[in-house]
Amino acid sequence: MQRIEAIKAMAAVITKDDLLTTSIGQTWDDWWNHKPADNTFFTGILGSVSTTALGLAVSLPHRRIVAIESDGSVLLNTGVMCTLGKERPPNLTVVVMDNGIYENIGGPPTHTSAHTDLAKMAEGAGCVNCITARDIADFDRHFRRMLDDGEMGYLVAKIEPFARHPWEWKDRKATDGIEDKYRFLRYVEKLEGVVIHPGAVQN
Amino acid sequence: MQPSNELPKYAQLFIEGLKEAGVSVVCAVPESLLAGVYRGCARDNSLRYIPVTNEAELPGICAGTYLAGKKAIMVMENSGLRQACEPIARFSFCHAMPMVMAMSFRGEWGERNWWGHNHAQTMEPILNALRIPFRFIARLDEIKPAIKKAYYHSDSSNWPVAMVFTGECVEVPAYAKN
Repeated sequence: MQRIEAIKAMAAVITKDDLLTTSIGQTWDDWWNHKPADNTFFTGILGSVSTTALGLAVSLPHRRIVAIESDGSVLLNTGVMCTLGKERPPNLTVVVMDNGIYENIGGPPTHTSAHTDLAKMAEGAGCVNCITARDIADFDRHFRRMLDDGEMGYLVAKIEPFARHPWEWKDRKATDGIEDKYRFLRYVEKLEGVVIHPGAVQN
Repeated sequence: MQPSNELPKYAQLFIEGLKEAGVSVVCAVPESLLAGVYRGCARDNSLRYIPVTNEAELPGICAGTYLAGKKAIMVMENSGLRQACEPIARFSFCHAMPMVMAMSFRGEWGERNWWGHNHAQTMEPILNALRIPFRFIARLDEIKPAIKKAYYHSDSSNWPVAMVFTGECVEVPAYAKN
């Protein structure tokens, strides 16, 4: 399965009412071109993608929250699995795009290309619905179910290494981290009917 | 020995201060100096208390809560600052993310644990390197105003702030009594 196939499968069922976080990496350009709205916080911190999603999930329990993780990001902060396993937010689905390499820096292997099994680790940490999908049909079926089953889900997508989609420069993610924050924040303000960042206070 | 049900005064004021500031999520790595805070938050149904395995998990939870339009606080010993340094730096410098942190001041004057001094020695240089404004909170009557102002300061500056608890505002180690 290629990452772009998994991204397209997600885009087919993600709506403007859902909120997402994503890991640094090629996923950014793939999801940038498929997100339905500014409903994604492009998290510029490996190891903090699922924790940011956890904060969203416990604070907005009525909304579907999806974290698009990478193997490199998950491996950087594996204790998060234990926290997810304890909290088990029912509205959270974690998707790990696991290509077994650090693709952005040229492709040295991550430990998942050796003996590390992230779905088994998540299960051992107390997470529920921990699945490894190895083809797009499996991924599509499990992702759709996890979005709406009322339980947390941890879906590891085994994707092909060195199979990045050749986006042209004009189609690559154009925003920086501060614009990403404001786009997402203003989107949540409209979606939830709240004021998060009011600007200046006159007194 | 089971801890007492009665919360020490500093912990009562801390938790009241959180509620008055509108905090709904408390995430933490429990330690001894703020033990009453963790105990009180864990049993308070009006707060979502999320204990984690490593301080590096805390900034993400706070950021996600902020982006959801709610308020969170991360609580830890000052040693946790070193563990959390990378995500704190990224959330602030890359995303200009408000974040309120509370930490106990391990390594206070009179510290008798040899392993505790490095926490105090490295805390201020790290906070300064990260350009994080911080205040020491040592008296009980400072707790509530400090928490309230921490959110004002962090939200309007789009940057983390830190409250460092010591003096009357932490548990008194047995060796330090009298």
